[in-house]
Amino acid sequence: MSGVLSERIRTLLLGSLGVGMFLGLWEVVGQLRLLGLSWPPLTEVLALLGTPARWSLFGRALGASLEALTVGYLIGLICGIIAAALAHLTPSLKPGLDRTSAVIHAIPSIALAPLFILFLGRNATPAALAALSVFFVIYVATSSGLSSVPRPLQDLVHVLGGTRLTQFVRLDLPAALPVLASGMRLAAPAALIGVIVGEWFGAPRGLGVLVINAMQNFQIPLLWSAVLLAVLVSLTLFGLLGLFQHYVARCFR
Amino acid sequence: MRISTLAPHSSHSSDTATAPLIRVSEVTKQFQLDDGREIQALRDMSLELGQSEFVALLGPSGCGKSTILRLVASLESPTSGLVEVNGRPPAELARQHRLGVAFQDHALLPWLDVAANVALPYKVAGLPVDGKRVSELIRLVGLAGFERARPKQLSGGMRQRVAIARALILAPDVLLLDEPFGALDAVTRRQMNIELQRIWSEQRITTLLVTHAVDEALFLADRIIVLSGRPGRVIRTLEVPFARPRHADIMRSEAFHRLCDELTDALETPVEDTL
Repeated sequence: MSGVLSERIRTLLLGSLGVGMFLGLWEVVGQLRLLGLSWPPLTEVLALLGTPARWSLFGRALGASLEALTVGYLIGLICGIIAAALAHLTPSLKPGLDRTSAVIHAIPSIALAPLFILFLGRNATPAALAALSVFFVIYVATSSGLSSVPRPLQDLVHVLGGTRLTQFVRLDLPAALPVLASGMRLAAPAALIGVIVGEWFGAPRGLGVLVINAMQNFQIPLLWSAVLLAVLVSLTLFGLLGLFQHYVARCFR
Repeated sequence: MRISTLAPHSSHSSDTATAPLIRVSEVTKQFQLDDGREIQALRDMSLELGQSEFVALLGPSGCGKSTILRLVASLESPTSGLVEVNGRPPAELARQHRLGVAFQDHALLPWLDVAANVALPYKVAGLPVDGKRVSELIRLVGLAGFERARPKQLSGGMRQRVAIARALILAPDVLLLDEPFGALDAVTRRQMNIELQRIWSEQRITTLLVTHAVDEALFLADRIIVLSGRPGRVIRTLEVPFARPRHADIMRSEAFHRLCDELTDALETPVEDTL
């Protein structure tokens, strides 16, 4: 037991050491202007993030991005689950749905963004691109989760006189939850990418807009602050959904 | 389930009082392998089980004994021949929730605790859960106090006890046991046999047991059917002479050992000699 614990502490220490070295290097490269003006020191970026006068700007951008992220994520999640359940329950639909979702995934979202701007408008494009990325991850995870029920369990429900629907509700769905939860975790960063790409194409506000504007106006520390915010959002979501995944895995495995 | 009525004697009009509860008649079962080859698991297999009879199918692995059980469980359909339970297709019995099964794989749902696993047949049947009967059966299989435990917290023997309780919960007409203790160590297995014998003697549900353990078949069954290797055919039938309820001591008796040896010999007889 203590062996496992010390192993964990070791991993944690080495991990923090790596992150610390990276941040240190960032600071040194910035301070010495090793990569020119476009690489500011970490402290300068943090100082800007900590400036109260800027908070309303960051807050508006963050709020808009999080709203698009939430809407897009939920739409992708629900559609992904419904499509996977449909494919699972109607085998004749499965090959078609599998292929369609793979094709959708194969199109780079950056190529779709202009079309979305035309069809859905500037406001809805970030959420739509997020939904698209989330859909594929969730569809694949749910599909593989739904068909992960071991044969003896299926036989059991059949012998007990269960219908296809009983098997779906009592076996397939609970068995799919751990895989679905890990898909939900992986989908979060993908959703953020969709949102930011969507915002680049001219959304009224958001982290992506802040990034583009700062870049075009050569506001380097502001650009880095916006990027750092996006990273923090992504890591926070990834961490929270990781906890959720842990919880689901403990309950359903 | 497709039923091909071949034999004229398999009409449903026979007197139900004397008719066997389970009838497998002239069943052939072929499986198609992935590479297109066909394997004959059973050829012209016939056997019958009377009401409240405990029959053990004894045979080497690959003799098709599990296939017979899966046919009666409506998990497979025969290539030709007839399988009936109470004169009806076995799928009907399954649909009416009157079948109990326990496999070698305990097949417990990992996300449900012991009580919920035992209660699963109620849920699948869409019936209200009888909590009193659930705790009664958990007590019957010796797991009182473990109602809230998850399968992964239990030992192999305890998981099989849960599976047995689950098989009995709806008081089924037919109990199918496919090497339920096959994955257990010798000591636990013996103990489980003793307990299953005790439980069965109280309920006397018509039971088909598939096993490759001679002593298990001899201790539990009223009748033992010995099968040859693939394709499976009946090479011997033995009426077990021990009265019920049986005490563990009979496993030490000379008669028990003699019958054990006889059955082991029958199992080891090369197939060609029995043709």
